[in-house]
Amino acid sequence: MMNQNKLYPWYFAGGAALLFFLLCFVPGMLGIAFSFTDWNNFSSEIHFVGLSNYKAVFLENSEYLKYISNTLIFTVVTTIMKTVVGMALALLLTQNFIRFKNFHRMVIFSPQVMSYLVAGLVFRSMLHPTTGFLNNFLRSLSLDWLAKNWLTDLHMVFPTVMAVDTWRGMGYIMVVVIAGLLSVSPEYYEAASIDGASFFQKFKSITLPLLKPVLINVTVLNVTYGLRVFDMIYSLTNGGPGNATGVINTAVYKEFSKGNLAMGTTLSSILFLVVLSLLYFIIKSMEHKEVEG
Amino acid sequence: MKMKVKKVISLTLAAGLAVGLIAGCSTGKESGSANEKKNVTLTFGSHQSGLPTSGIVQELAKDFETESGIKIDFQISPDAQWRDLIKVKIDSGEAPDIICVDTPISLASSLHMDQYSVELTDQPWVSRIEKTTLAAVSVKDKVYGITFPGAKMYFYLYNKDIFKTLGLSVPTTYKEFFNVCQTLKNAGYTPIYEATTNGWHQVLPLFETGGLWLNQDPDMYEKLNENKIDLDGIPSLLTIIKQLDECAKAGYFGEDYLSNAWENAKEAMATERCVMTVAELGFRGQIEKEYPDFKATEKLGAFVMPWGDNQEIGVNPASNAYFINKDSKYKEEAKQFFDFLARPENLQKRLNGQPELSALCWPEITSKYTKEDQAFLDSLTKANVVQTSVNYIDSQWMDVGKDLEGMYTGALTPEEVLKTIMERRTEQAKLQKDPGWVRK
Repeated sequence: MMNQNKLYPWYFAGGAALLFFLLCFVPGMLGIAFSFTDWNNFSSEIHFVGLSNYKAVFLENSEYLKYISNTLIFTVVTTIMKTVVGMALALLLTQNFIRFKNFHRMVIFSPQVMSYLVAGLVFRSMLHPTTGFLNNFLRSLSLDWLAKNWLTDLHMVFPTVMAVDTWRGMGYIMVVVIAGLLSVSPEYYEAASIDGASFFQKFKSITLPLLKPVLINVTVLNVTYGLRVFDMIYSLTNGGPGNATGVINTAVYKEFSKGNLAMGTTLSSILFLVVLSLLYFIIKSMEHKEVEG
Repeated sequence: MKMKVKKVISLTLAAGLAVGLIAGCSTGKESGSANEKKNVTLTFGSHQSGLPTSGIVQELAKDFETESGIKIDFQISPDAQWRDLIKVKIDSGEAPDIICVDTPISLASSLHMDQYSVELTDQPWVSRIEKTTLAAVSVKDKVYGITFPGAKMYFYLYNKDIFKTLGLSVPTTYKEFFNVCQTLKNAGYTPIYEATTNGWHQVLPLFETGGLWLNQDPDMYEKLNENKIDLDGIPSLLTIIKQLDECAKAGYFGEDYLSNAWENAKEAMATERCVMTVAELGFRGQIEKEYPDFKATEKLGAFVMPWGDNQEIGVNPASNAYFINKDSKYKEEAKQFFDFLARPENLQKRLNGQPELSALCWPEITSKYTKEDQAFLDSLTKANVVQTSVNYIDSQWMDVGKDLEGMYTGALTPEEVLKTIMERRTEQAKLQKDPGWVRK
């Protein structure tokens, strides 16, 4: 074993490491470094300004804090919804009494291949208050009281955006969970059935524990996506009405287009730190439980 | 041996290259000085929207070539990249002889063409351009560019028939306007077509009513640019924001204005679902083209936006203009080209060859407006719009659109909208180290 380890000297990885260092690490660090400056579009000089950009985010402007809290809410809600709905669909579509399982799976997965921009634009027209498909459909069922201003009502818009995002993302989670479910050996279920376990008992004591590695991956994917969300919100509401659905990345986009490059990098650096720390804790906590279980 | 052969070959090649380069330089110079009229090619750099899609400018350039032998070589770049690209080109000395950029050029946030181009104040055609438009190509009373498109003016277009049936007359104050809207609403119409999803349309009432600002103080625009006064010193601005809010809450924009797109305005007006909307006079022609049964040019009248009791039409002279590169070898030839373009017959040819344009900023050329329109336009008092005269307004136009959207949904109060606009101005000014804001 020792010899095998030494078969490849360290510098074989050097090329890859150098490329990674130059193309990923250095620009990343530079980005963080720029957040301590007053870098902008209008002047070629760059001055060190210390933490003043961060102060502006956390102390002076409540708008940014709103974007951060919106991002966190979006992440938590969509992660839970996608996992729950995706898992429910996966359980349903692995049952034997369902016919044309693969067809159903394909239909539910299909939004995943659609671009976020297209999905956003399609939904924008479907959710139009008078000409949109959804409200017309509700009205035709005499459910007029359910027909809402989905994308312009301050109380409806964020749930709507999260629902559309869940619709688009759940298919992928479903596919991953189905793969996990199919790898669970049927003997466990057989044994449990002989012992007289109900469906929910089997789910709780067999399915969930054995799916844990899959669920960790799914959560990591959902959380990193949720924190970095941009396209869906940009195409559905562009952060509106007003700034009601603004998230960190729409704010970054806005700062860059205003020419305030330093503020853009500040917000991205904050996002980077949040993603990094959250992921660390998610993975740590799940690993821990797995050992216990 | 082999090495030696290689060396000899590479040296010969290098020498050949050097000779070629030098030769290239020298012939270039010769053609510049000796063959004055012939073999001159002027490069003309522009962004896509700087040249009409009908190709009329290229056609005029062909005419110019047959007459003078001077060729014009058009180099067209995408709109989004042009600003940055031309800056780099100017700085590296590779800019074309003639540069087309958007105007006005005197704002802090514009490209500072006065530093890069030849002064044209003494050219014979300068006096023939409309004064308000000339200001857009001038810095401190010195003219630097030549421009052609006529000014943009936004009116309320209204359905004359519906007004007549309901016994309504054109409102001249906000109160009258409000009452007109109420009558229209009672009659089952949507009084005003508004569309906020495009982001820009809802902002027009705020900054196209600059006449009110100038009535308060004729030097208002300069004072704003020097930061001697801020936007909260202009009561009419807040009044208008409040009035917009009031009309939105009263339902005068209809139910769906927050989901509407400007592209559907033609349909809304042609089907008589909506009675009024903010648009240019030329918009009627566009409606008629798509809905020939609805004779928009006859059926739609126009009046000045009465927000804040405004009665002066906002004139937006900004468009694009041509400038002569200060470092060009062919400044005289470029001036000759401008002279050619400024000839009345060529101005007329330009207007005729550009279907979307109703008028030029050269008063001697009769516009495509009807007699009635022209009389109406002549009868109006005009004032320059805010965004071409005051710094840091145009750059936040779309953001203001979102603020107003926020106000309509109840997330912001009118006062907060104003405060946000002011904060953004300050932020932009400080970023640009504007002397009015940052003391050095």
